[in-house]
Amino acid sequence: MSGLRLPRMEDFSHRLRGPQLTSRVGLWLGITLTITFLTGVWSHFQQDTPGWLTIPTQPYWLYRVTQGTHVVSGIAAIPLLLVKLWSVYPRLFRRPPWRPTRAMVLHGLERVSILALMASVIFQLATGLSNAAQWYPWAFDFRSMHYAVAWVFIGSLLIHVAVKLPVIRQALGEPIDGPDEPVDVDSGEPVDGSAEEPRPVAASGLSRRGLLRITWAASGLAVLATAGQALPWLRRVSVFGVTDGEGPQGVPVNKTAAEARIEPVDDSWRLEVTYAGTSRRFSLDELRGMPQASHDLPIACVEGWSGSGAWTGVPVADLVTAVGAPVDSRVFVASMQKRGAWRTSELPEQFVEDRRTLLALDLEGEPLHLDHGYPCRIIAPNRPGVLQTKWVQRLEVQA
Amino acid sequence: MTAWRVILALPAAAALAYAATRLADVPGDHWTSVLKWLVGGVLLHDGVIAPVVVGLGLLASRWLPAAWRAPAVVGLVCWGSLSLIAIPVLSGNGVDPTNSTLQDRPYVASWWIGAATTLALVVVAGWWRHRRIDA
Repeated sequence: MSGLRLPRMEDFSHRLRGPQLTSRVGLWLGITLTITFLTGVWSHFQQDTPGWLTIPTQPYWLYRVTQGTHVVSGIAAIPLLLVKLWSVYPRLFRRPPWRPTRAMVLHGLERVSILALMASVIFQLATGLSNAAQWYPWAFDFRSMHYAVAWVFIGSLLIHVAVKLPVIRQALGEPIDGPDEPVDVDSGEPVDGSAEEPRPVAASGLSRRGLLRITWAASGLAVLATAGQALPWLRRVSVFGVTDGEGPQGVPVNKTAAEARIEPVDDSWRLEVTYAGTSRRFSLDELRGMPQASHDLPIACVEGWSGSGAWTGVPVADLVTAVGAPVDSRVFVASMQKRGAWRTSELPEQFVEDRRTLLALDLEGEPLHLDHGYPCRIIAPNRPGVLQTKWVQRLEVQA
Repeated sequence: MTAWRVILALPAAAALAYAATRLADVPGDHWTSVLKWLVGGVLLHDGVIAPVVVGLGLLASRWLPAAWRAPAVVGLVCWGSLSLIAIPVLSGNGVDPTNSTLQDRPYVASWWIGAATTLALVVVAGWWRHRRIDA
C-alpha cells in the first residue's frame, strides 16, 4: 500500500508554482472580486434600499454600468481563481505542526480562514453564474444568500491579505522568473526534495511570465465571450452571453407575458391612480391624450444583460398631480401579474419628481409589445430591471 | 506591517460580524442547500478539478514533447475555464420556452466550434514549435 498515500507538498512541481506567480494572479483576483463585491452591494441597495440611502436618478445609466460590471468582473475572476488555486494546491497537503503549540493553533486558524474564503468565492461565482442564466438549482433565496455570503467573502479576503502581507510584498518585489530554487512561503527556506529539478525554460517551453500571460488571456477571453450581453459592440463575439441583444422592438425581455400569465387587455381596461382615499381611473385613450414625453432609457437586468430603447409615455409626476397629490410623493406600483416576487415596486420621491420617470405606452414609436408590458409599464432612469414594473394596473400615491 | 494588519483586520471583523447577522436570518430548512453549495464547491475543486489538472500535467511532462507543452497549457487554461463559465448556458437549464430573447444563442454548437478551433491551434502551434526546435 506504500504506493497509495496522500501526496505531500514536496511531491508537486514548484517550477512554475511559487509566491511570485500566486501574488500576481492573486492581486488581480483580489481587484476583480472586490469590484464584484462593491457593485454587488450597490445592486442590493438599489433593490432593497436602506433608510439612510437615497438612490440618485442620475446618471440614468448608472445601474446599467454597475450591474454589467458586476457580472463581467465576476466572470473575469474565474480563470484567475482557477490558476491561483492551482498555484497553491500543494499547500493543501502541508503537514500541520503536530505539537499543541501556538504554531499549530495559527496553522488551524489560517486553514479555517482559507476554507471560508474559498467556499464563499466559489459559492458566489457559481450561484451568480447560474442565476445569470436564470437557472436556480438550490432551495434558498438567491438574493439574500448572495448578499450574506458576499460579506463572508470580503471579511475572509481581508484576513487572508493581512496574513499573507509579508509574502505578498516580498513576492511582488521579486522578478517573476527570479530564483528557480523553490522556497517555503512560511519560512523562506528552500524546499528540499522537490520532485523536479529546476529546468531551463526553453526545455519545457513555459516560464512563470508565460503562464501569467496565458492567465490574463483566459480572463480576457472569458470577458469577450460574455460581455456582449451588456456591451452592444461586443454582441457578435459574445457567443456565451445570455442574450444576443435582440427582442421585440429591439429590446430583450426578462419575463414574458405568457410566463407571467398576462392576457392582452381590451377597451374596458382602466389604470387606477389612488391618493388619500380618492381614486381616479384612466382609459388608455385618456393616457394617450395627456402630454407625452420621450426618453432613451436602458433596461438593465440584475442578471447583467442590458439594452436600451426610446420610451414614450406620461411622466409619473403628471399622474400624481392629476390626483391632487404633491409631486414629491412616493408611489406604490402594482402590476396585473398575479404572482411573482416582482409584481409590485415602489418609486421613491426623487424618482417620481424626475420627469424622465414614465408610465410608458410606446417603445420605439410603437405601442408596447405585450412582453414589454402592454398597455403600460414603469420606466425610470437608473433602476434595476426588476423594479421597472410591467403591465401596470394601479398607482397608489402615498399620502 | 503590524499597523497594516490591524487596518485590514478591523473591517474584516466587522464584515464577518455583519455576515453572521445576515446568516442568522436564513430559514432553517434552507441550510442543507446552502451548505451543499458552500462545501460542494470546495470539494469539487480540491477533489476533482485540481487532481485532474495535476494529473494532466504529470501525463504531459511524461508523454508530451516539450515543444507542445506551452500550447497545450494555453488551450487548457483558456478553453477549460471558458467551458466552466459556460456550464449554465450549455446545460440548457433556465430556458423559458415562451421567451426567445434570453439564452437565444447556439451555445452547444459554439462550444464544439471553439473546442475544435482550440485543438487545431494547439496542434499547429505545437507542430510549428517542434519543427523550429529541431531545425
